[in-house]
Amino acid sequence: MHSANGLIRLDHVGKVYRNGSLEVRALNNVELRIAQGEFVALIGQSGSGKTTLLDIIGCLSRPTTGTYWLNGRSVGSLSDGDLAAIRNQQVGFIFQSFHLLPRKTALMNVELPLQYRGVAPSERHRRASEILRDVGLEDRMHHLPNQLSGGQQQRVAIARALVNRPALLLADEPTGSLDSRSGEEILHLLRRLNQGGQTILLVTHARELAEIAGRLITLRDGEIISDEQIPGGTSAEAPAPETPTLRQKDTA
Amino acid sequence: MTFSDTAQDALKNLVANPMRTALTMLGVIIGVAAVISMIGIVEGGQRKLVQSIERLGTNLLFVFNKKLTAEEQRQFAGRSTGQKYDDAFAVRRLRPDLMVAPVLQFKKPLKAGARDFSGEVTGTSPEFSEIRNFRPAQGRFILEKDIAEWRRVVVLGHDIAEKLFGSDPAIRREVKIGDERFLVVGVMEQKGSLHGTNYDELIFIPVTTAMRRFTGDDKLTYTILHVPDRGEMEAITKQVHSLLIQRHDGVDDIRIFNQGEFLIAMDRTLWTFRIVLGGVAFVALLVGGIGIMNIMLVTVTERTREIGLRKAIGATRADILRQFLVESVAISLVGGLIGIAIGIGLAYGFGDLVARAMPGAGDWGAVVQPSAIVIAFTFAVAIGISFGLYPAVKASKLDPAEALRYQ
Repeated sequence: MHSANGLIRLDHVGKVYRNGSLEVRALNNVELRIAQGEFVALIGQSGSGKTTLLDIIGCLSRPTTGTYWLNGRSVGSLSDGDLAAIRNQQVGFIFQSFHLLPRKTALMNVELPLQYRGVAPSERHRRASEILRDVGLEDRMHHLPNQLSGGQQQRVAIARALVNRPALLLADEPTGSLDSRSGEEILHLLRRLNQGGQTILLVTHARELAEIAGRLITLRDGEIISDEQIPGGTSAEAPAPETPTLRQKDTA
Repeated sequence: MTFSDTAQDALKNLVANPMRTALTMLGVIIGVAAVISMIGIVEGGQRKLVQSIERLGTNLLFVFNKKLTAEEQRQFAGRSTGQKYDDAFAVRRLRPDLMVAPVLQFKKPLKAGARDFSGEVTGTSPEFSEIRNFRPAQGRFILEKDIAEWRRVVVLGHDIAEKLFGSDPAIRREVKIGDERFLVVGVMEQKGSLHGTNYDELIFIPVTTAMRRFTGDDKLTYTILHVPDRGEMEAITKQVHSLLIQRHDGVDDIRIFNQGEFLIAMDRTLWTFRIVLGGVAFVALLVGGIGIMNIMLVTVTERTREIGLRKAIGATRADILRQFLVESVAISLVGGLIGIAIGIGLAYGFGDLVARAMPGAGDWGAVVQPSAIVIAFTFAVAIGISFGLYPAVKASKLDPAEALRYQ
């Protein structure tokens, strides 16, 4: 049994999509370690496999080959219920299109992960309001998504992603639908969260956005082609005893 | 996700699309309303029939003359000509506990002053009134001494009395049956129709008078036997049958009917009705269920991204399955309740309609029993579950990564 090496560890992970007789190799032999507290940006062109990698790390899909360890647990053998629990409590997602439920208020959207966790109504109300306050939306809690600006909607989504205090925040092009100022605010918020110790994996196709991270991984054609530390980046010092980052090549 | 959270979400979704929800519900509403109203109407009809049969007396055996084939007629020529007046006495001697009413029916014109009426005259004995539970409203029925002295007295049915005498009292008036003068001694209570016989148009005279004055022989049309103990019906049927064959020189020219057999035959007819109508209603409910399935499949497709998102934030397959199942069950549940209300309204409305269209038939009195409501409601919910299951399973099996990015 391998012990965990940081928060995330991917060993020889590959993903093949089958579309009829057509086989698409989306990921190929990916080796990756991410430690607690890192702010990692994953960049690549569309079709490079970054979304596939994000899905695997977020337990939305399983690797075809290889092993994925999250917090010391191999994910490949877990049941649907276990994966749902991981998505609920260990991982928080934010998306380019926010994915808020349109008929629920900001508060109700943020309460949703707590509902799936089985938290009592009064407690989830308290926690959801608290986290909405943290993202600066205390006066927008009872607004429906269509009554909020894009930036506000994304902040609701971030609140929802964080309400169960996940180990990992996955952000898929979080500024893609926002104007530059709102985008700026969201990035600022992510940076602040990382400084508070939150591990973040940011997926983007824009290198300049990725620069706020402490570590930059580039994907091409399903393979990691570079993995570099950014000196000016904002990655918080990892509290884990091991080195904060382990390069793919190092462990091969 | 607690059940109440799921239910609240489901209701919110249903209310958000009021037109669609209403149309989907309509199928279930029509189905349930059809089940409730049809069962209610048939049930009411059955009660009415059973009641009217029971009003005419129960525990009855009818001894009819059997029509013989030409072959049998040749074979038995000169040996027997059916029931005779003496047969009734023989039955009385055999089983003194039975009430026996000989009946002799024939057609004769009736006349009272200028008014006349062509009707069927029934010659019978005092027991008839007792056995058929059919009593005079004014005056009296035929008495023993009328029989013994073959008196020319007549008891008129309610409608006949009205036709001949209008609102004047009929008692002690004179009526001509054929060429014979009769004294009206009684007018029967109003009874209505059953099996094509209008009891209010019957004319009763003593059976002996009928034989002497009109038919000229001692043949009977039929005999009614009242059996005090229902459990003995079959034994007595056999006993009487063999007695009569013996009296008829070995010729089996009679048939004995049991009133219970009428009820059974009628019940069978009603069951046929019930099955046919129930089948129609069930098909309506089924179509309603297909409507639910159709809409739920559309809903699942429309909400693919929502399903993906819910899975991404921690919904299990069971959570998603339950969410969509609760929606389809909610549609069928509410549709079922509305359908029950409409069905009850239809059943009683139909009763009113019959009462108004056929005043003679009386109130149909549709009966909506709690069991029918429970059955219809259970069916509706079962249909919600079974037709909602496939779309719900489909939703629960969606791949979260694909569902999230579904366009």
